[in-house]
Amino acid sequence: MKEQFDIKKFNRLALEFRHVITDIICRSGSGHVGGALSLVEIVITLYYRIMNIRPEEPLWEDRDRFVLSKGHAGPVAYTALAYLGYFPKEWLPTLNQDGTRLPSHMDQNQTPGIDMTTGSLGQGISCACGLALAAKMDKKKHNVFCIIGDGESNEGQVWEAALFAAHKKLDNLVVICDYNKLQIDGTTMDVLNLDPLPDKWKAFGWETFEMDGHNWEDIYDTINKAVAVKGKPAIIIAHTVKGKGCSILENKAESHNIKVGDEAAYKKYMDALEPAEIVLPY
Amino acid sequence: MNWHEMEMRAVYGETLIELMDENPNVLCVEADLSKASGTNPKVIQKHPDKFVNCGVAEANMISIGAGLAKEGKIPFCASFSCFASRRVYDQATISVAYANNNVKIVGTAPGITQGPNGGTHMCFQDLAIMRIIPNMHVYSPCDVYELRAMMKYMASHKHPVYMQLIRPKVGKIFDDSYVFNPEKAVVLREGTDLTLVSTGYMTQFTPQVAAELEKKGISVELLHYPSVKPLDEKTLIASARKTGAVVTVENQNILGGLGGAVCEVLSEKYPVKIKRLGIPDRFGEVATEKYLFDKHGFGPEHIAEACRKMAHSI
Repeated sequence: MKEQFDIKKFNRLALEFRHVITDIICRSGSGHVGGALSLVEIVITLYYRIMNIRPEEPLWEDRDRFVLSKGHAGPVAYTALAYLGYFPKEWLPTLNQDGTRLPSHMDQNQTPGIDMTTGSLGQGISCACGLALAAKMDKKKHNVFCIIGDGESNEGQVWEAALFAAHKKLDNLVVICDYNKLQIDGTTMDVLNLDPLPDKWKAFGWETFEMDGHNWEDIYDTINKAVAVKGKPAIIIAHTVKGKGCSILENKAESHNIKVGDEAAYKKYMDALEPAEIVLPY
Repeated sequence: MNWHEMEMRAVYGETLIELMDENPNVLCVEADLSKASGTNPKVIQKHPDKFVNCGVAEANMISIGAGLAKEGKIPFCASFSCFASRRVYDQATISVAYANNNVKIVGTAPGITQGPNGGTHMCFQDLAIMRIIPNMHVYSPCDVYELRAMMKYMASHKHPVYMQLIRPKVGKIFDDSYVFNPEKAVVLREGTDLTLVSTGYMTQFTPQVAAELEKKGISVELLHYPSVKPLDEKTLIASARKTGAVVTVENQNILGGLGGAVCEVLSEKYPVKIKRLGIPDRFGEVATEKYLFDKHGFGPEHIAEACRKMAHSI
């Protein structure tokens, strides 16, 4: 079920996603908004244009797998899953509420459509290697898409997985690094410099691409190129803006996790989004 | 088949091959210690496509195991117990247990059986730390027959497991007819004066200790716990009720492992006098088994002495 691309429609969808993400995080009182907003265009492109999936059959054997290794960006995936019908949109505002099935970090046993539990950084990309290796063993044709964070790339386990995937020639694995250049304590440059990031992945034996993570055509074309790579895994370094679309959060390390104490704070964040006549779908 | 004439790791390798022959989803996953685990070269030769070497990257191995398990594979992921437990504790907790992925983690050369590698490699805490992870089963077989039964059980039951694996040849406690049930302790010998509880390697020594004590008029009830979690509370409480005194012995720190588990159960449900034997909260060192038994007081003579004291004190 792939959607025909229409820039107006997709821009509108992205705007709506940003309103939903910001709303459900602010409602819950706090949350990882910056790294969810930076992924909106990428996640929409994956779910609406790239991945072979059946929302009515979340565990369809031949589906493409999706692992959000930076599990704290859960709300962007939840929004996509709800919009595609994996579960009712009414679930969205239950994010992080008592008894919710939408926890801050992704849980394969709670949420329909989640292929892997993530949240402890560095582990998701290794799990994605396991999913991709299992597919190879079973001679399956589906792909595994995995999104990692730039801060997450401080974890040694990311690089263990990088060695492994190249060694095993996991060309059914496409990793996207959300390179928004900010992590909790500041810029990636100041906290623990990753540069030159593409060169590092190349040296590890990965086919390496870069893209503008907010440009629809660039995202679509680059992911397709990455999928087409044979004989080695592919990574896309996606240049993104943390907090994208919310003027007071954009490019701010503090956007990683915001606290929303009262109605005034809620309004401040919602008003900082690009205005749109949007009726929240719940 | 006289499996007990083989090294335990060789039996691990052979049994894994049998399981792989029966079920194509069973996988052998290693982290550059496959010779130590007993899977190299035999498993590689027999099932090259089901052998995954992750290199010296244990954390990666455990999370890869989780991914494989999510797709229906049954990965047996092995490394030295120090690396298969404490080094990968977060991966075992989150990728495996929290996500409830069907990964079998095998910790080889537990406790003092690590011998010449010494303090850095002697892990005395794996039973304790793995036991407090929800969803995780924790097993420690005492001989090759129990190992084989346990592995068959693991391959046919969907559950995260941590299992200790002794490497060298050990004595025969059971035989081919043995059936493993994690919910059940094994009463190796009935007795009335005190209960001696052991798991894994130390069960190699307790039957002899009990036989010697019998000659001196002390009747020991012997319980062997192949599973430290789940822990068969019923058998423990029934035995404590009968004897009124318990001695525990394990190839581990006395904090938190089998002895800890026994204390938790009995202090809440049937308090009796307890003596725990094992490593008294110390690190390991390069040394022989005898040296370590004597230093820490949990070899056969020390077990016998503790039992005598216990029998006379009640």
